[in-house]
Formats: sequence, structure tokens, C-alpha cells
Amino acid sequence: MTDSADLPLIHVVDDEAPFRRSLLFLLESVGWQAVGHASAEAFLQAAPAFPPGGGCIVLDIRMPRVSGLELQRRLLAAGSPFPVIFMTGHGDVELAVQAMKDGALDFLQKPFKDQLFLDAVERAVQVSHERHAARQRRGEAMDILARLSSREREVARLLALGLANKEVARLLGISDNTVHVHRQRVMEKSGTGSAADLARLILRADPGGLD
Amino acid sequence: MRCSLRSISVLLLLALCPLLASATEASRQVRIGVLAWQGLEEAEVRWSTLMNRLADQLPGRELVLRHFDLAGVAAALKAGELDFVVTNPGHYVFLEAESGISRIATLVADNASDPAHVVGSAVVVLADRQDIRRLADLQGHSLAAVSPDAFGGYQVAWGELRRQGLDPEQGRPAPVFTGFPMSRVVEAVLNGDADAGVLRVCLLESLERDGALRPGQLRVLSPRPGGAPCQASAPLYPGWAFAAAPHTPPALSRDVLVALLALTPDAAGQSWSVPADYHTVHELLRALQIGPYAFLRETAWPSLWERYWPWVCGLILTLLAWGAYTLHVEHLVQRRTRELTQAMAARQRLEVQVQEGQQQMDHLSRLSVLGELSGTLAHELNQPLATIGNYARSLLRRQDSGNLAPAALRLAAEEIASESERAAGILGGIRALARKRNRVREAHDPVALVGEAGRLFAGMLPGAPELQVSTGGDGGGWRVWVDPLQIQQVLLNLFKNAWDAQRAADCDAPIELHLEQVGSCCVVAVRDHGPGLAPEMQGRLFEAFFTTKSDGLGLGLSICKTIVEAHGGEISAAAAEPGPGLVFRFTLPLAEGATPWHENPSDDR
Repeated sequence: MTDSADLPLIHVVDDEAPFRRSLLFLLESVGWQAVGHASAEAFLQAAPAFPPGGGCIVLDIRMPRVSGLELQRRLLAAGSPFPVIFMTGHGDVELAVQAMKDGALDFLQKPFKDQLFLDAVERAVQVSHERHAARQRRGEAMDILARLSSREREVARLLALGLANKEVARLLGISDNTVHVHRQRVMEKSGTGSAADLARLILRADPGGLD
Repeated sequence: MRCSLRSISVLLLLALCPLLASATEASRQVRIGVLAWQGLEEAEVRWSTLMNRLADQLPGRELVLRHFDLAGVAAALKAGELDFVVTNPGHYVFLEAESGISRIATLVADNASDPAHVVGSAVVVLADRQDIRRLADLQGHSLAAVSPDAFGGYQVAWGELRRQGLDPEQGRPAPVFTGFPMSRVVEAVLNGDADAGVLRVCLLESLERDGALRPGQLRVLSPRPGGAPCQASAPLYPGWAFAAAPHTPPALSRDVLVALLALTPDAAGQSWSVPADYHTVHELLRALQIGPYAFLRETAWPSLWERYWPWVCGLILTLLAWGAYTLHVEHLVQRRTRELTQAMAARQRLEVQVQEGQQQMDHLSRLSVLGELSGTLAHELNQPLATIGNYARSLLRRQDSGNLAPAALRLAAEEIASESERAAGILGGIRALARKRNRVREAHDPVALVGEAGRLFAGMLPGAPELQVSTGGDGGGWRVWVDPLQIQQVLLNLFKNAWDAQRAADCDAPIELHLEQVGSCCVVAVRDHGPGLAPEMQGRLFEAFFTTKSDGLGLGLSICKTIVEAHGGEISAAAAEPGPGLVFRFTLPLAEGATPWHENPSDDR
């Protein structure tokens, strides 16, 4: 939302054209940029052309052929960053539960109040932004770590786990001096000043990097 | 011994002598009975001359003349006391029928006369009576005559009056009987005691000749042509008859006849001639219903009864039997009619009950279909409502934030209008289905019906699979004879079943519909791609309350069957080829120029 390139785009996927259009009209009323898709297939077809930036997907859970749940699974598999808000009909609670388990951000039972819907979209866009920022930070961390040699990455990981130089030397079967030299290089290259900083950097790049 | 025998013979002969003598005497006697119609004295005077002259012609025979009145002659004949009878034509005809006498000669006025035309009547009035010119003018006047029994003196004139349309018996004209002699009739007319009088023919001329009557004083009515020498008002009839009794020996009859014919005319110019034909006399008496024909009038009923009583009894019995039979039949007919009426009334009541039950059932089934659809229906109605709500609130937001563009307002308003119409359409379809109604039969295009049902189905069920309609043969143009709403109900049921089946199998394939004409029917097939049904289940599909669904009433297909059969069609289910899936087929009668009918609504439900 900060500049035009980052303007979030709200996707509404519903086979019910009038209702879809009404949601777009509502979103536009409060200044969102929104685009409608008549089916899951139509969404997937248009996806490559989506501009970069935040946004979310408002998805009808029941649609002919490819249902909303199926689309969500495919998006997850493709690593889509868009948060998903499901719209469900009466009696679709089981489907909604499944959707939430699969990582949906929210679900709205039709008919819903416009404010609820807008709030959900707002939240989703927020999440989208957060996810975008997190991804950016991870990318930076990975870039930094990529500059290290493999031995340096190994030493950095052990140091991040809180091991002393001596222990690192013994684990790797190298001398204390060598460890010390590696430590100096790692701190230099990553711009970190302590083992704690180093640990945060590694976790940013890979949340499971210290396991 | 011989001596004694002879003496006995002599004695016997002596004893028989008087008898033999009387027998001889009797054989020589000729007994003649005469009708003394003017009294014994008159007859004696009149006929003694004839007897004497006859006696001269019949030497060796003794003529015995006896006088009788009308009844006396008949009685004497019956007793066998007479050999011959001399009587007037009417009486002769009567005796001929009654006693079997036969005429041998007829009295004629003179030698020149035709014996068949001797006796007649002249009806006279005062010459100055201008108001009576013809016999027909006698209506309303009085008519004098000697006696009702007088042949020429009354009966002949009577017969003629009847021919003219009058009837003295009915008082038209009123008869006045003066008694004999006939001069009394003349006096009655001259005195004015009667308007007219009946005279034996030639009497008038005779009286005028004798100077007893001034010529021209009396006038004869309706004189018949050829009236010389005497004027007559009626046809002439044969004269008096000389007739032989049935037992009279033919030889005697011949002798007497020869004697009669040999007689010269007497002082009055009368003589005997060959017997005339008395047929005309018969006719007259028959017409007047007198003499031998009196039975026609007086004893009509009793004599008829006597003659025909077996027939009459038979007829009456037949009539009674027929009447009884008719009554019996009528009774039977009435009883059967009553029974029939009662039976028909009972049947009608039953039909009404059945019909009411049927309609109730239809209604329930529609409601049950609606019930099964209602969950999704609510959702479906929510769609347009939610859409409308979204637009409305969006407009408010734009208004509040001051950036409501006219184009946006217009767009939103159009969407709202169209969505509200859609909602109303869905509700309308439901209402039509849920309403209680009477049955109708109309010609409809089955393809259009299927399309309508499909739209309603899609409208009620979001996410329902699409319907794929195909037609066989010439591809449509058919008309089926149906109640459109009921057929819609059947289709909705089948669609719903198909959808349920496909949902169970998690299948999104379209529901296939195929229509084609087979004979005089349109066959509609609905095929789903669900899991199908075990064959043993298929047989029970159409039973009421049979269901494979947890939330089903089991009424849908049984109602479908009822409806289709009420249309004269059939419904069946079979496994789809190739499987899996189930295909329902039902037939509808094609409309062939039939006119639509609507049941009269019994009330306004």
C-alpha cells in the first residue's frame, strides 16, 4: 500500500456472477483494487500475469468442477503467498474446518455483513504484507549465508547453537586457531557481532536451520 | 186262431181310420199366414179376395187364411203352423233371417211395374210451405207417419232422411206417429199438427183421384226423377212377398206359385210376379239397425259378449298379464335404476375421496421435495439477497466517503433490480409448486417443460451439475398431454435424485436428459453418473417410504410413479449403460388434437 507497485490486489473467485460483481463493487467502494474470477481454472490461468505485491484470495468453497478447497491445495503446493478467505454456504461447516486446517486465513458464512468481510480482507492484506516482508528478510539472510564457504557455514551454525570455539574445534576435528580464523571471517561476512545475532540470521533464512 | 187274428186286424184298421182321414185332410190344407198390419178386419177384407181366387186356381186344396201381427207370424212359423206367409218387405227380410222362409212371389202394383221397385215413400208438405222445399229442409220440423213399423209408410223415408244427414230418432225432424189408417197422416199435415207427413207411394195420387184431396194441396219433397206414375221422395223397394215356410213341400210351393202367377190383376191393379231381389231391403234395415239388424243397436254389447266372450276374456287376461308384466318390468327397472344410482353415487363419493387423497398426496410430495430442497433453497435465496445487500451497503459507503459516481450508482441499482427479480422468480417457482391446485391437462412441448424444470432446479440448487438435454428422432416439435406442474415435479424429483447420487459419488458430470418419441408416447430418460443401485433395490424404488437417503421421506419416486401413471404413462429405472449410474425412463402421452381441460375446482383452495 505504500506505493503503486506494492498495491495489494484482492482476488474474488466465485461462479455466481452477480454476487462476485457485488463483492468487487464493495471492495472498490473502500478503495481496494479487486479482480474477479468465474472459476478456479480461470484464476489459475490468469495467475502468471498477476503483478507482484500483496493481496488475498476470496474463495467460494463450492464451485463446479474444481472446488475452492482444491484450488487452495494447488495454491499451497505452488507456494502461493496469498492468504485465502473462504466463503461458505449454510451447512458447509465441515468443509470450512477442512479449509482452516489446510491453512485458510478465515472463513465467512454467507450471508455475511459487509464490515465482517472488509475486516477479513483487511487482515488478509496485512498478513500478506507481513509474509512479503518476512520473505524479503529471509532472502537477505540467505544471500548473506550464501557468501560463506561451506566450512564457514558449518562453523557459523555450531557457533549459533552456542558452542565455544574449543568445542567447535573438537567437533570438527580442527585446531582452535583455525576455528578462530573462521569465526572472524563469518562475523565479517555476515556483519554480525555475536553468536546470538548469527543464530537469528540463520533462523531467518531457514526456520529449521538450527535443528 | 185265424179268425181271431182277422178280427184284431179289423179292429186296428177301425181304430186307425180317423187318423188316416185327418192326415189326408191335412195334406190337402194350405195354411197361409198374413201380416195384418192395419188390423184384422182390414186384412180380412184385403186378403179374402186373394184367397178365393187362389182357391179357384188350386182345386182340391183347402186354403186356410190366418192373420197375425208381426210377432205372431214368427211364432206361428216356429210352431210349424204355416205353409206360406204373406208380409211386407221389411218383415219378410226379418223372417227370412229368423225363420228361413223363402219368397216365391212379389206383389206388384200392375203388370208393367218392376217387382223390385214397388214400395216407397212420399214425404208431403202443404203446398204453400215455402220454407220446406227439400227433405234436408225438414231439420227442426215435425214429421207425421203412421207407425215406426210401417215400411213404405215410414222406414223408407227414414232411410232416405238418414242419407241426407237427418235422423228422426234424434228429433231431426221430430216424428209424430198417428197410427193407421194412413189418412190420419194426411189430416195431421193439413191441420198443421205436423209440418210434413210420410205417405206410402201412390197414396197421394190415389187420394187425389178419389177426390179425397184437392190436387196440388200437398206437395211431394225431393221428388225423384222418373216419378211416373207416382211421385216418391225415396228409392223404391220390392213389394209384399209371398213366401214359403222351410218345411213346405216344393211341389206345393210350385203349385201355389203357378196359381199366383196365373192370377190376373185384382181390382186395385195388384198382381203377383216373380220374386224380387230383397237385397236393397236388407241394406236399408241394416242401415237403420232394425228388423233382423236390430241387434246392431239394442243388443250390441250383450250379443258381442255372447259371441266373443272367450276372445274378450282372453284379451282381458292377456291385457292383465301384459299389465302385470309391465308393472313387474317397471318395478325391476326402478329397482335396478335405484341400485345403479346408489352404486354410482357411492362410486362418485369414492372417486372424490380418491381424488382428494391424490391431490393431498401430490401436495405432500411437492412439499416433501421442497423440504428436501429447502436447505439449499435457503442458500440459493440468500445469494441474490446478499448481492443486493452488498450493493446497497457499497453505495452507502461511497456516499459517506463522498466518492459516489453516477455511473457506479446506476450499475449498482441495475444489479439490485435484476437480483431482486431473480429472487422473486425463485420464490414464484416454489410457490407454484407448493400451492394446492386442481389437475389440468394441456398440450405442452416436452423439451420446454424439461428446460423449465432444469432452470428451477439450477435456481434452487447452487453448484448442481448442469443438465445436458438431447432429443432423438426428428428432434422435437412434440406436444405432450400433461399437467405441466406435475411433470415438473417428476423431473425435479429425478434431478434431485440424480444429483444426490452423484454427490455421493463425488461426481461433477452433467446429468443427461434424453427425449424421444416411441409410438404415441414421448419417452423421457434421466441418467446420472452416481454409484447406481443394486438390482434388488431397483424393484423397490417406487414403493412409498422406501429410501436410501438418511434424510429422505421416500415419497418422491412413489409420487412420480403415481403422477406418471395418472398421465397414462409408465416409469422405470435401470442401470445405465455404460455404468456406473442409474437411468430413469418415463413416458408421456402425445397430445393428438385434444382440447385442454381443467377440472372444475370444487372450492377455492
